[in-house]
Amino acid sequence: MISTLILKEFTLELRKKNVISGLALYLFSTVFICYLSFSLKQNQITPLVWSALFWVTILFSVINTVAKSFIGEKKGREIYYYSIASPAAILISKMLYNFLLITILAFTGWLLFSIFLNNPLADLALFAVTLLLAALGFSTSLTLLSALAAKANHSNILMAVLSFPVVISVLLIAIKITKNCIDGLDRSVSYPDLLTLLAINCIVAAASYLLFPYIWRS
Amino acid sequence: MKTWAKILCIALLVYTIVGGFLLEVPRLNIVNESIRALYFHVPMWFGMIALFTVSLFYSILYLNKPTFKRDTYSVEFIHAGIVLNLLGLTTGMIWANYTWGSPWHGDPKQNGAAIALLIYLAYFVLRGSIENEDQKARLSAVYNIFAYAAMIPLLFIIPRMTSSMHPGNGGNPGFNTYDLDSRMRLVFYPAVIGWTLLGVWIATLRVRVRFISEKLLNLEHE
Amino acid sequence: MNKFVKLVVGLVMLPAMLIAQPIEMADTMRSEGKIYVVVAILLLIFAGLITYLILLDRKITKIEKKLPPDSNS
Repeated sequence: MISTLILKEFTLELRKKNVISGLALYLFSTVFICYLSFSLKQNQITPLVWSALFWVTILFSVINTVAKSFIGEKKGREIYYYSIASPAAILISKMLYNFLLITILAFTGWLLFSIFLNNPLADLALFAVTLLLAALGFSTSLTLLSALAAKANHSNILMAVLSFPVVISVLLIAIKITKNCIDGLDRSVSYPDLLTLLAINCIVAAASYLLFPYIWRS
Repeated sequence: MKTWAKILCIALLVYTIVGGFLLEVPRLNIVNESIRALYFHVPMWFGMIALFTVSLFYSILYLNKPTFKRDTYSVEFIHAGIVLNLLGLTTGMIWANYTWGSPWHGDPKQNGAAIALLIYLAYFVLRGSIENEDQKARLSAVYNIFAYAAMIPLLFIIPRMTSSMHPGNGGNPGFNTYDLDSRMRLVFYPAVIGWTLLGVWIATLRVRVRFISEKLLNLEHE
Repeated sequence: MNKFVKLVVGLVMLPAMLIAQPIEMADTMRSEGKIYVVVAILLLIFAGLITYLILLDRKITKIEKKLPPDSNS
């Protein structure tokens, strides 16, 4: 059931190429704006500024990406899903799909940042793991919120307002580990942080799983 | 709220004010006499967390079996919790200005408090943007539970992991080890209970006002 | 050797020096009894606020009694 739903998400996504290309363009233009505004003076970007810019860019493109996962759905189609699938299957398929999308987005963002604004990271593997875990955290928390926001008026504004406070704990830890990666500290320093990130993901995922049926019912 | 709880609340707070100013406190550098602010600033946080937890409890109950009463309780306890949050934040800023040197010091607990404020303000934005009453109550209950789950790591785990200027951080639970000696605990714990009860009292008053206006509305319809 | 002795003496004396250096508290205010003025003012303000809250409470109770007993909760 879940795999069919994920497959359906992909086929729908690939059919409307304008959304995917829109997201890619959004990411590219944000990175490019960062590049242009800092290119006035060479070597202005300290590693800390780099990490701040990187996470802000990723955060905003991710919120925009996930927001459309429920807001974009047509009313009639939703009723159809309701009749054929259980809410848990729908939530998990959306979450996994969003996770894949966010991961692709995050790594593309990293690539673009490396091209335009160089790459100050010393420990690449650790940073990749951090990106994966942060992507998991974003997808688990934002998928539920997107379903919530889709039921209300002014969904797009609401999405940003609701998601910021919930996502911030993931973001804070991710930024902390990024700093460790930049400084090239020993990996054992970052393990507790990675574990905390994983624990937060588990809490949020469990909460979404329990709460989603109540949103879906309406 | 029962009458004895109100009397207990008043008695404890009178004791807090008298004992908080007249009893001995440890002599510490930098904070000096301002350590007495502990009896008034810190209970705001304890009270806030207690009120938000009560609200969480009613939200869970609401999802279990939706009634107007449960929704009202969870909204109004958040209202009262936000008041305590604002008071805690501003008193903390005054205290920090004189002991740490600036009102906003980037301390993890301070940031956590500000983010908790944002979460619950977002809760009211969410309620404002849904028109259907049942849907409003259900979706806001879901958000309340979800936000509380996301706030726990923020308020309890992250400050423990990073260096904080609040005492008792870096793996050490709470602040009862070295700075809060037994003399201060005599006043501090009653203060926490007293201020929390005051918050509950105000919240229940607001709940009752909501009930009355709801009843009047029903009477008009009949 | 001389340095070492100085260090040891310093370390031994350190707690004593900390105690000897008085930490500034509002002791003058206390000895003059002005602290009671502060406490009295705070108590009065607190009493005023609580009285207000109690009156509000009683007013709400009165209105509740006027309305028919609830059936919707």
